[in-house]
Amino acid sequence: MGNCLKGSSTDDLSPLRNAETTSETTTSEQPWIPYREVNPGGPIFYPSPGISCSVNQLSEEDQVKIAKKLGFIQHLPTGTYDGCKKNRECVICMIEFIVGDPVRYLPCLHIYHKKCIDAWLMRSFTCPSCMEPVDAALLTSYETK
Amino acid sequence: MSALPRRIIKETQRLMQEPVPGISAVPDESNARYFHVIVTGPEDSPFEGGLFKLELFLPEDYPMSAPKVRFITKIYHPNIDRLGRICLDILKDKWSPALQIRTVLLSIQALLSAPNPDDPLANDVAELWKVNEVEAIRNAKEWTRKYAMEN
Repeated sequence: MGNCLKGSSTDDLSPLRNAETTSETTTSEQPWIPYREVNPGGPIFYPSPGISCSVNQLSEEDQVKIAKKLGFIQHLPTGTYDGCKKNRECVICMIEFIVGDPVRYLPCLHIYHKKCIDAWLMRSFTCPSCMEPVDAALLTSYETK
Repeated sequence: MSALPRRIIKETQRLMQEPVPGISAVPDESNARYFHVIVTGPEDSPFEGGLFKLELFLPEDYPMSAPKVRFITKIYHPNIDRLGRICLDILKDKWSPALQIRTVLLSIQALLSAPNPDDPLANDVAELWKVNEVEAIRNAKEWTRKYAMEN
């Protein structure tokens, strides 16, 4: 909990008030979201939580940050789904794993579709299921200058 | 309007098939990302007996971002302000895509059972809750009767 007063601008309400209209106005510039099948427009990046912009709006500093994140994510092991009964469904897209699906393993041993977890890791280095930091040691080596 | 992600379709179906006790969430006829929500006030809370209307909107990049949720029914609670905005960590920095509409609404219901005046959104309410809890609870019951029990 916390930070509610700081973040309590009227912005919080606008998505609700405009609920009917936003879906129409944003169709022309949809962000790149891998868990969605439709994929028009260019990639959108998230330099900080809640801030989205396309690549030409990014500062040099943000570009470096994103490159570091991408580099970090590439260090996490990947594989293909082997039919393990313990994990049946990717909790991010809620679609059942099919043998052969590309998956990524987090250090806490939770697995997700590669494209689903990569989109989340660009926003936060935590496991969606257990909220464990993905790898504090690796993270530090990438975050420090 | 863009195609609805499979996840939203699945969550909606599951909410209909296995509704959460004390909570109803129905998608709007014209916008499948907008839900009309009713939460019943939990037992043994000052909100008991009340039916609280909320609105819930799934933003474009859901589940990468949290749903936007707001109380429509007026409620006297230290973590809910006069505009109905809710101070709840999982709606802000503690959001995770493993959470769902269902878990969000359960957390909101739990917040009604456990007001937290040390992390206020409605300052005047929180202040009274801290200095005179008896009066604060009386106010909360009165508001519940006045605004959350119309038929």
